[in-house]
Amino acid sequence: MATALSFRKALTAPPTVRTLTSGVPSAPLLNLAARSPAGHGHEHGHGAVGPRSDSPAKFAGGLSVSSSGLVSRSYVNAQTTGIHQHRLLHTSAVVKDAPQVPNFEPYQAKSQDNNRALSYFMIGSLGVLSASVAKSTVTEFLATMAASADVLALAKVEVELASIPEGKNVIIKWRGKPVFIRHRTQSEIEEARTYDWKSLRDPEADESRTKKPEWLVMLGVCTHLGCVPIGEAGDYGGWFCPCHGSHYDISGRIRKGPAPLNLEVPQYDFSEGDEKLVIG
Amino acid sequence: MSLANTFYNTLVKRNSVYVTSIFAGAFAFGVGFDVGITNIWDSWNKGKQWKDIRHKYVQE
Repeated sequence: MATALSFRKALTAPPTVRTLTSGVPSAPLLNLAARSPAGHGHEHGHGAVGPRSDSPAKFAGGLSVSSSGLVSRSYVNAQTTGIHQHRLLHTSAVVKDAPQVPNFEPYQAKSQDNNRALSYFMIGSLGVLSASVAKSTVTEFLATMAASADVLALAKVEVELASIPEGKNVIIKWRGKPVFIRHRTQSEIEEARTYDWKSLRDPEADESRTKKPEWLVMLGVCTHLGCVPIGEAGDYGGWFCPCHGSHYDISGRIRKGPAPLNLEVPQYDFSEGDEKLVIG
Repeated sequence: MSLANTFYNTLVKRNSVYVTSIFAGAFAFGVGFDVGITNIWDSWNKGKQWKDIRHKYVQE
């Protein structure tokens, strides 16, 4: 549309011009190289500078002024170019000759063996260093998960055993949990050891629950829902949990009630000639 | 046989030996580094640590 419009504008001649005998209006002073005015219809930023972009390229034809008026030509076949070039493609191998290669002899290794050993030594050293780094990375990372020193200092509790008379319970606090220590009498030991423990809900021998038969050390947390059982109570002369009625015997084994497991035995040891009990 | 060839033939030639010696070297390096740094620390802080002044306070 814009092209047609431009052409029409370009061809619009004043009404006073002559007309040739062929009927074509004579306009000898028409400037066919005129630039189109800025803002003539399509504002794309082009067309304002340079030759008109809507006029066909020279090789495609175009308008020209001749003695008989305006002539419009359009070439159907493109003209051949007059310049011929050889195609420089070929498949044969290039023969290269380099007579000016410098002498690299001074730069070459004196001994291949030394070179190889040095390379492997450097590789091995890097391996040693990176293995050390990896090892310490892993260990340091795992060390962050370990308990800190102040926690570890609280993790052990010492109890004077001489202060606990026979047949008495002592409750101490260890890592925030109560620990039952019972100095059992001889008859209690016999009762705990002679019972047929294989028929219990959580079968466990009294021998495996105590290091010394007269000292019973257990965590005072009911295995049902975590209440603290009451000592010297219940149907079996041991412990009784008031929350849901679990009965533990004199070895801390569950005998009756909802609890699934025996009272837990913590890690403990006797020290200083059985004078002290160290829990933890 | 030169030192380089001895090194190559004993440690590097078999990859299993090479890798094993690298790990062994890493272990030895770790121990040696630890001991060395501890010695440097102790000599730098001589007279300031509890083990240096313990005899002044604890009589056994």
